[in-house]
This record gives sequence, structure tokens and C-alpha cells, in this order.
Amino acid sequence: MSDKNLPALDLQGIDLHYGYVKALDGINFHVKQGEAVALLGDNGAGKSTLLKLMSGVHRQTHGTIRVHGEEVSFHSPRDSAKAGIEMVYQDLALVDALDSATNLLLGREILRKGPLGWLGFIDRKRMVEEATSETERLGVKIANMTRPVEMLSGGQRQGVALARAAVRVTDNANGILLLDEPTAALGYEQKVMVEQLIKRLADHGLAVVVVTHDLPLAFNATSRMVVLNRGRKVCDIETKQTTYENIVGWITGAKEPQKDMQ
Amino acid sequence: MKKFDTLSVLVFVRSWGITTLLVALGIFFSIWDAPIFGTLDNFSLLLGSSSISAIFAAAIAMGAYSGALDLSVPGTAAVASVSMAMVIGAGGDPITAMLLALVIGTAVGLFNGLIVQTGLNPLAVTIGTLSITSGLAAILTNGLPLYDKMENLGWLGTSNYFNFEIGDFVFSGIPSTFFVVAVIYVIGTIFLTKTRGGIRFLAAGGNAEALRRSGVNSNIYRLLGFTLSGLIAAIGGIVTSAYTAQATPQAPTAVLFDGLTAVALSGLSLAGGRGSLPKVWVGAMVIAVIGNGLLIKNIQPFWTISITGALLILALAGEHYIGKAVAKQAVAKSNVSAHKEVKTAGAK
Repeated sequence: MSDKNLPALDLQGIDLHYGYVKALDGINFHVKQGEAVALLGDNGAGKSTLLKLMSGVHRQTHGTIRVHGEEVSFHSPRDSAKAGIEMVYQDLALVDALDSATNLLLGREILRKGPLGWLGFIDRKRMVEEATSETERLGVKIANMTRPVEMLSGGQRQGVALARAAVRVTDNANGILLLDEPTAALGYEQKVMVEQLIKRLADHGLAVVVVTHDLPLAFNATSRMVVLNRGRKVCDIETKQTTYENIVGWITGAKEPQKDMQ
Repeated sequence: MKKFDTLSVLVFVRSWGITTLLVALGIFFSIWDAPIFGTLDNFSLLLGSSSISAIFAAAIAMGAYSGALDLSVPGTAAVASVSMAMVIGAGGDPITAMLLALVIGTAVGLFNGLIVQTGLNPLAVTIGTLSITSGLAAILTNGLPLYDKMENLGWLGTSNYFNFEIGDFVFSGIPSTFFVVAVIYVIGTIFLTKTRGGIRFLAAGGNAEALRRSGVNSNIYRLLGFTLSGLIAAIGGIVTSAYTAQATPQAPTAVLFDGLTAVALSGLSLAGGRGSLPKVWVGAMVIAVIGNGLLIKNIQPFWTISITGALLILALAGEHYIGKAVAKQAVAKSNVSAHKEVKTAGAK
């Protein structure tokens, strides 16, 4: 596999211009395997734009992106997926009427052996087994693999979507998982579930980037925080070494950027 | 775990409500219409009279599963059956004529699908196709129905099979049209529930974006929905012609509404993505049972039409409210289990 010391995903000197507008200005950002990093900022600070750059939706004007030390150039989300980067969008993209197992394995369904398999017949039992073992390996608890996902709670649905993305990236050597507001519209209990899940995914060796407005989530689930303000990085700090007030200060711009940022 | 709670009742109603309704109607009419309704012969009659709307219901269901209501079904049926009748009338081989009708139906479906893929509204597109195809059917026949040699299709339209007599007991047999229904529904159900193609087909109707993000080309499955809808509509046209021994260029729009009602009764959301073909058949049977039961009582058939309409609205309302209630209950329950999980995690 890759060198443990190299960041899984490394962005250096990233600029992104929309016409005359600088959406991102000289951003350096990295995430290591086994690390969950929160990407914070007010609306319009550029955090979603940066995430879209990592997932191949946008392209930077200047700067380089490296995945496991190798320079890459993403022209579409497909390119980033090939490089082992998986994005979980806010809307989850689950098929409500299908069960969790089928949702997890959509696009890589398990066929039966023999002539029935050639005709495209699926092996439902093996699909449930595979989905169960994959989610267990990730430490995700899904109450019922054969229940349609529309009958699951918001947290459980989030779990299925995260597991699906996580399984795809773990298939591909050392994966990188990008999460866009994973707790938007979730209740307290469900938020706690998602927090635990993110921690487990990181413990499992994944590199996780979480874009969020949810500060408790960031403090509970990640080990490092990066704050953007008007397209610039204003802080990059271990979660343990900072406080709510400091982070809020950096987000609103009330607090001076960290010294080494510019 | 087998607890009698609100959620399981709701889920039961959603899964089995339509079947329960059919059984209840059966019992009701067996008593009210005794002794005519509850006989084996009347049952075989019901299988026959539900067949044509069941076939059209399957066509509509296939469209709906892939996420689009295909309203061109009657027009497709008209142009397919008229073309078949012209070949048969000119002395052509009936099987070849039927194959031609199937090809035409498939082509109309593909046409619909390709146009809708450009981003146009499927309802409007298929209404356009309905006019084009029924107009074409009338142009082909100068607006007149075709009868020539159509009586030769009795083996498909009006014959009964497996009839027998044991002493005084006479069974008039299973109507030929029901075998067509059985083939469509069995193959369709196996496709939808057991194959990779069927699952992706349902997924394309439910959430095309999910399928796309899984690296699957969802457009192919949308196209498949329209194509299957066109193919089954053509089968419906063929069977209707065989049953009535004529091919009329008028698009049978009444079956569209029966079919639509059957699909709605089956509890599938007309927005696509879910569904069970056997329940669609049960829905078609419910409509046939009401018609048959009222007919035996000599009640004017117009009542059936109004009742079918009322059923359609009731079915949609029921689906809407039960769906909402199920989601609410299910979420409430999952919250409870999440709570437990959090507690045990804290206890570790």
C-alpha cells in the first residue's frame, strides 16, 4: 500500500477563480489515513467549493492535488472515484423502496452461480451476507438488511449511505471519504450515531473529510479542524488544542488568523 | 418480536390491503349474488373479464415503475392491432402479423423513451404519442374497424381450455386470455424481483441519481420502462382484437383508466420505484369483481365506471396516508433503538 507518512489527500496552493471572484485563495489542505478532519466555515467561506474540488466536480485554477503522493488531475467525479475518493452527498441518494443490502450493493449486485446467473438472476441470500459482513467490518450497525430504507430512521439511512461510500473506497486500497453536512436534518440521537460512525471509519483507516456547520459533530468526531474564511484558510489545529470560542471566532472572522496561515 | 403494534398493522394494510379488499368483495358478492357469483364458472368468467385490463395495467405499471406514466398505451394498442389485422386480412400468417404488432409496440415505446430522455415531460410526450398513434391507426383503416378473418384468432381471444365434466359437475374451463396474463405477470415478476436488471430498473424509477452514483447508466433503464410498456400495450391490442374478433382504430382509452386504477390499487406510488406486479393483477381483479357483482344484480354498468373512479382516488389517498403513517411510525421506532445503542456504547 502507500507510505503511512504521506497524506492520503494533499492539496497545495489551491486557487479557484470564478471570473474576477477568488473563491479559494492559496489553500493548503491535507488529510491522512485514519484521520477525520473537519472543514468548517460560514456560508460562502469556500468549504463546499473545496470539497467539490476534491471530488472532481470543480477544477482548481492554480495549485496541485496529490493522492497518496501522486499528482492527479480530476476532470469529473468519476476520476476522483477511480483515485479512491468517495463523496457522500447531503441527499444520500438511496432508493427508498429497496432494502439496505440492495442499496449497499447497487451497481455490484451478486449473481447466482451457473446458468441462472448468466441470465442476470441475483443471489439475494449472498447479497444480505455480503452487506452484513461489509457493514460489520466497518462497525456500522444496520438494524435490518432486508427492510426498505424508507422505513429506517434518518440516522440509519445516513449509516447506509456512509457504509456504501466507505465500502467502495475500502475496496480501493486506502480510501478517502468526503462527507457533505452528514448531520443536516438529523435529530440528536441520530447525530450521535453518525458521530460514532465517523470515528469508527477513521479508526478503520479511512481518511475522512467532513464539511459541516455542526460544531458539536466536529468536536466529537474529528481530530483536526480547518477553518476557511472568505476563501482563505484561517486555522488548522488539533481538535484537542482548541475551544468552541476560538473556532467560532475564526469562523466569524472575529479572531485573527493563525500566524503561519498566510 | 411478534408484537401487535400500530406499525405492523399499518405495514400489513399496505402490503395486504388490496388482497384483503378482494377477498372481502368476493365474500360480499358471494352472499349478495348467491348462488351465481360464488361458482367456479363465474370465477373463470372473472379471470377472462379482468384479463384485458390486467394486461394494460401491466403496461402502465412497467412505465410507472421506471418513473413515468405512459399514457400512449391505448394508441399503441390501436396501431399495433390494426396493423396486425391488415396483415391477417390480406391473407398473411397470423403469427407473423402478431410479431409485427409486437415490433410496432416496442418501436413506439422506444420512441417515447428516447424523446423523454431529452428532458421533456413524459405525460405530455406520451399524450402526444397517443394522438399520433391513434391518428395513424385511423389513417391506416380509413377510420373503419377491420373484421376480415379475425374470427380465426378465437384460440387466443375467446376459447376456454382445461374444461371438463365429472358427472353433473361442468367446468367451462380457463379463458385463453388469462394464459396471456399469466405469462406476462410471471415473467414480469421474476424479472423485477429476481434479476439484476429488474432491481436496477426499479432503482432507476425510485432514485435515478443513486443508480448513476453507483456507476450504472440509469438512462438505459428508463428507456427499458417505455419499451416494455409499448411491448405489453401491443400484446393488449392483439388480445383485445382476438377477443372482439375485430381491430378498431379507436384507441381504447377506457382500459387506460381501468389499468391506471389497478396500478393505483396495487399501492405503488405513481412516481415509480416500487411495486409488485401480482398486486396489480389483484387490483385488476377488484375492478372486474365489482363490475361482475353489480352486473349479476342487474345494476346499470355505469355504476361500475363511477365506482372505479372513486376507487382510484381512494387508492391514491390510502397510499398517501398509510405511506406517511408508516414512515412516521418506523422513524419513531428506530429512534428508540438508536437510544439504546447510545446507552450501551456509553456503558462500555
